[in-house]
Amino acid sequence: MSTTKNDGATSMSVGAKGGKYLTFVLGREEYGLEILKVREIFGVMEITAVPRMPPHVRGVINLRGQVIAVVDLRAKFAMAAAAQTEQTCIIVVEILRDGRKFNTGIIVDKVSEVLSIPSESIEDAPSFGEAVKTDFILGMGKIGHSVKILLDIDKVLSTNEAIALEAVTREAA
Amino acid sequence: MQPVQTDRNETSAAFDAIAELIENVASAVLAADANDLTALATAHSCFQQIANTAAAGLDSVQRPRFEQPAAEAGKLVERLILGEMAEPEAGLRSVTEVTRQLQQMVRDVSAAIAPTVLTPLVAGEAGGVATKSLQANSLEEAKAAITADDAPLALEFISEANAHIEAAEVSLLKLEEAPGDPEAVNAIFRSFHTVKGVAGFLNLKQIGGLAHAAENLLDLARKGKLEIAGGIVDLVLESIDRLKGLLTLLDTAVKTQQPIGAEPRLPDLIHRLHAAAEGKLIAAAPAAASPAGVAGEPTKSAAAPGAGGKAGETSHGDGAIKVSTERLDSLINMVGELVISQSMVSQDVTAVAAGDHRVLRNLAHLGKITRELQDLAMSMRMVPIQGVFQKMARVVRDIGRKAGKEVDFVVVGGETELDRNVVEAIGDPLVHMVRNSVDHGIETPAQRLAAGKTPAGRLELRARHQAGQIIIEIADHGRGLNTERILKKAIESGLVKSTDPLTEQQIFQLIFAAGLSTAEKITDISGRGVGMDVVRKNVEALRGRIDIQSAAGKGTTFSINLPLTLAVIDGMVVRVGSERYIVPITSIEQSIRPLPEQLSTVQGRGELCSVRNRLLPLLRLHKVFNVKPRTENPAESLVVIVQDNQRRCCLLVDELLGQQQVVIKSLGDSIGAVKGVSGGAILGDGSVSVILDVPSLMDLA
Repeated sequence: MSTTKNDGATSMSVGAKGGKYLTFVLGREEYGLEILKVREIFGVMEITAVPRMPPHVRGVINLRGQVIAVVDLRAKFAMAAAAQTEQTCIIVVEILRDGRKFNTGIIVDKVSEVLSIPSESIEDAPSFGEAVKTDFILGMGKIGHSVKILLDIDKVLSTNEAIALEAVTREAA
Repeated sequence: MQPVQTDRNETSAAFDAIAELIENVASAVLAADANDLTALATAHSCFQQIANTAAAGLDSVQRPRFEQPAAEAGKLVERLILGEMAEPEAGLRSVTEVTRQLQQMVRDVSAAIAPTVLTPLVAGEAGGVATKSLQANSLEEAKAAITADDAPLALEFISEANAHIEAAEVSLLKLEEAPGDPEAVNAIFRSFHTVKGVAGFLNLKQIGGLAHAAENLLDLARKGKLEIAGGIVDLVLESIDRLKGLLTLLDTAVKTQQPIGAEPRLPDLIHRLHAAAEGKLIAAAPAAASPAGVAGEPTKSAAAPGAGGKAGETSHGDGAIKVSTERLDSLINMVGELVISQSMVSQDVTAVAAGDHRVLRNLAHLGKITRELQDLAMSMRMVPIQGVFQKMARVVRDIGRKAGKEVDFVVVGGETELDRNVVEAIGDPLVHMVRNSVDHGIETPAQRLAAGKTPAGRLELRARHQAGQIIIEIADHGRGLNTERILKKAIESGLVKSTDPLTEQQIFQLIFAAGLSTAEKITDISGRGVGMDVVRKNVEALRGRIDIQSAAGKGTTFSINLPLTLAVIDGMVVRVGSERYIVPITSIEQSIRPLPEQLSTVQGRGELCSVRNRLLPLLRLHKVFNVKPRTENPAESLVVIVQDNQRRCCLLVDELLGQQQVVIKSLGDSIGAVKGVSGGAILGDGSVSVILDVPSLMDLA
């Protein structure tokens, strides 16, 4: 499908993607976040529900005097809810929206490790047809036999709707 | 001696006419397209007039600069109008370009007039050269946007220059009170001098030029060769206003990375400043619609004996540093957290080390330090209201002069401190109220004398702390509110019925109603673009309230009650199911345990609760917020009656947990505005609770 011109553009944009990623588990898949986006990680604490919020916004927490929103990433990706375990974590990420920076928490099943993924191991997100948007995926990082879905967390959290991720995960698996 | 100098007056009249014409062309051409015949016709006639005026009125140096380009541009426009151009758009572009160049030339020349007037010797020998180099410089400036590297420097300059200008303004008003005060003259001079210096450093020609001209004038005053009074004060005030305008232009330029916009009225002002330095007061050119232009009116407005007061003089080197509010806020956040941690640790340790006196003593000490630290952190946002009051002195002076009123303006309690956000937000409402008081409240000197009063009306601006609130009073000793007239207008506009029994207080409050214009009183000054209803809205947005006392013939006092800070509210913590919510105390009227007979259901309109023979809508919070309550039976729950602006409503909650002062936090940028919720707050145990927004909750009911 892709033309030479496209390949050129692709390799250029991929070139900037290599670097360190914090990987975490959600369901059966592993995902990655750019490490520079991550502020801190802690176990799940009590979350205050905010009325009239979309289902994936679990509520707010007190992050050392600052009130921040917490997003349930499973709900955001339209995945079935899972029971909370010892390993369930909140990752605080710094979001950039409309030129303003702010912190938001995301709930994930388990935090794995920090990986250095070189540019040549990162491929662009495959296309799944028009119905599935993939612009919130930075790329697919290949580590050995496994594939990590590298997220553009700014884009993931920029919409209020749940994102249909099933097609992507099926493909990746 | 030289042509430039000898016919300066004639030349400048012609020049001013040309400048105005060029502005006309610019406004006609810049927005026009090639088919816009009206605009083109305007441009054509202007160009011709420019050429003619230049030929007749300008000296040999200036004439060629304007005459020929204008004549050529005129021909170009003519061809455009006649449809002779193959590419009309390109033709229009050339016309626009010529117009720009002419505008630039005007700016350059007026900057160049400065040295010729000021230092005739230099002008005589090197006038031409100076003019040329100035022109080159200004052209450069017009092209160069502030570079990204310079942006932080420029922004710093803007805030610094604004502070200097404001200080100069205060000193100037003081000088008017005590003419010839050398300290005040020096302070004003220094302000302009500093602004000029930094502007020169940053290569800001417009600001530098204006500051320079004003500085020259002030230098004469400093040396005792000129008295700053009457028209000169107006001139300096105008310079201050213009500088503020230029700084705003610069600010926009820096933020948008665009070249700095030109201020067309600048050359005229600089020209007048130089003339004043030579001892001639010139009225503003008609193009510059300057309010202070009419110089030397006899109306004397006595301004602010208390305004500058002790906080006067310059505030350089007072040991203060600037800290970004962001840092300050995070410090306050951190201290808040420290208090919470401290109280938790203290509880735990007290339980474990019950008998250990040393540990308990140290713990108590830690607690004391923590509380002091918290007080200190909270006080860091507090600033004195003096700054806002000082601005009012200027408003009083200008309005008083325009309306022909004599005002004796007094400020009391300027040192009263309140939250910076409140200080910023109260400025606009205060301006309107002060304007109103001067314009409507205080009578003209003739009226006052007829009423047996002193010709000058006293206007007091007072601030003080009272019961955890700040009270700002605007008291005029004027004619007082005319209840009859207000009532008549209110009945005419259908706000109230003539049968309504209204107390005096209720009638006073009618002046805040939207749409009530006591037309007889409207003047061009108050304009009523923003009415008292907006003032009240602004004050209420700050969780404040306005009271009025007035006596016919004796005067009116407006009291604004405001919270000290926007950051803290008194809240009632209520529980619904497993959730806790905070209801602002100010909106709670009472809370009751309802009896079954008090409750009724209206088909299709929800539930009602009868309280003291009034039927109020009942809002089940658990339904609105979709949580599971302890019980569905209202008779086992509590009803909190809340009010907002005459509206009332009952909130059904499980129980009241107690009253608490909480710090308001935004719910995080990612959540944004939520209906029924005004923010979050961190409770004593460190958990977050949601603060209810009563007005929007009522909309949900």
